[in-house]
Amino acid sequence: MLEPGLEEKTYILNLGPQHPSTHGVLRVQLEMEGEFITKADPDIGYGHRGHEHMAENRNYLQFLPNMGRVDYLHALAYNQGYCMAVEKLIGLTVPERAEYIRVITAELNRIASHLLWVGAYLLDLGAFTPFLYCFDDRENILDLLDRITGSRLTYCYYRFGGVPRDIDEEFIAGCRAFITRLRGRFKDYDNLVTKNIIFIKRTRDIGIITKEQCVRYGLTGPMVRGSGIPYDIRKSEPYSAYPQFDFEIPIGERGDIMDRYLVRLREMEQSLRIIEQALNKLPDGPIMAEKVPKRIKPAAGEVYQAVETARGEFGCYIVSEGDIKPYRVKLRVPSFGNLSILPEIAVDTLVADLVAILGSIDVVVPEIDR
Amino acid sequence: MLSERIKKALAPLSLEKVEPGDYNKTGYHLEVAAAPDQMPAVAKAMLAEGCFLESLTAVDYPEHFTLVYHFASYQELCRTVVHAKLDKRLMATSITSVYPAANWYEREVYDLFGIRFAGHPDLRRILLPFEADFHPLRKDFGATATNA
Repeated sequence: MLEPGLEEKTYILNLGPQHPSTHGVLRVQLEMEGEFITKADPDIGYGHRGHEHMAENRNYLQFLPNMGRVDYLHALAYNQGYCMAVEKLIGLTVPERAEYIRVITAELNRIASHLLWVGAYLLDLGAFTPFLYCFDDRENILDLLDRITGSRLTYCYYRFGGVPRDIDEEFIAGCRAFITRLRGRFKDYDNLVTKNIIFIKRTRDIGIITKEQCVRYGLTGPMVRGSGIPYDIRKSEPYSAYPQFDFEIPIGERGDIMDRYLVRLREMEQSLRIIEQALNKLPDGPIMAEKVPKRIKPAAGEVYQAVETARGEFGCYIVSEGDIKPYRVKLRVPSFGNLSILPEIAVDTLVADLVAILGSIDVVVPEIDR
Repeated sequence: MLSERIKKALAPLSLEKVEPGDYNKTGYHLEVAAAPDQMPAVAKAMLAEGCFLESLTAVDYPEHFTLVYHFASYQELCRTVVHAKLDKRLMATSITSVYPAANWYEREVYDLFGIRFAGHPDLRRILLPFEADFHPLRKDFGATATNA
């Protein structure tokens, strides 16, 4: 209680870098007036490893394993973006079967990332049970991908010109069993989470992002789709085998946290549809392009390749000066742009709501820091 | 066609180059070259056409820096790249007042290349510690695969 006549002062509150709800080493310096935030200043870079600098000191293939460590939750999308950029640079065509395998594994990885988000996000809001459900489902995907790629998290599975290992009958059967299983689970998620009155109160009409803000901040992924803009690189700039599959882009109406949650949930259903179609139509043939140069030495030039990760657009910009090492590699990561809107939408909210908003952006901090 | 509309919108700015790009080879529909101090005007024209700032970065060449801006649109597939050559002794011009997204991107370019942006509201380092005294993506930084 303040004495009468004394002025109310603003004070500084530190959120992170060890706060559990910042999902990694992210620090947000908050200026508070009572319970309300007047200014939020995210401080990033705690996990800066200099990936872009490493790229300039390695040859094209040596840099490939780094791609699993930028966004560790959707590592295969980064594998794909970088491989496609290099393939474009040297004019390499990937065989049809390899494209299908890339789509199947990348979509499985996307579902794993969304499942982790749902679980960890509800943990932020104080619900423990959904976390166990989500990790139970996600475990199935990790086992499936482990069989094919050899790792459970930081995948390095795609190669320039295709994929190194073919999928087998056991993997296909496992995928089909998983599709059936997860489809049955969506009802549980709806009953447990979507219809939960506490969850609705914490997320409806909180953290609203308008379409106009999306354009000014260059947001991508579920952040724009939640605000009602149907922008998905898989549709708007089709790559790989995506044009051959029938799927929808779920969008929200109000642009609040609830809409972003619903978009991610429906996206998982669409990913299952894509995987199912890809398994049904899986063509025979080689999984690796015939003439992959042993030494990758592209002609001078530059290339920009965008792919849709679970968080939005990953753009891989490579400048080649005709050397075996890239002259410059820029990783345009979705979380960096998506987080930059936080100072604007955090103003005049409560700390508890800030945690809800920050979680709904779905940041992966090592991706921002690079 | 959005690329035609952008071409028309950029025409009055008398830029160095506005040409269609080879999309299958580079991923660009439109390639533009501009002077760094023309960037706020270019950005305003791009925003008026509904484009968003996809990425902003720089490349360090021996004689000059090149600032690279990528613009894309939610409505239509059209990627515009703008290259702006910058003399190593000069400052760039900020487009943060047009695109708030540029705020962090320009801070990153300042942090990693040491390029200053005139008119930026808060030009601090963003990835490296504030007290760092180097800019690691400059080619004279000198670290190699064995010691980086």
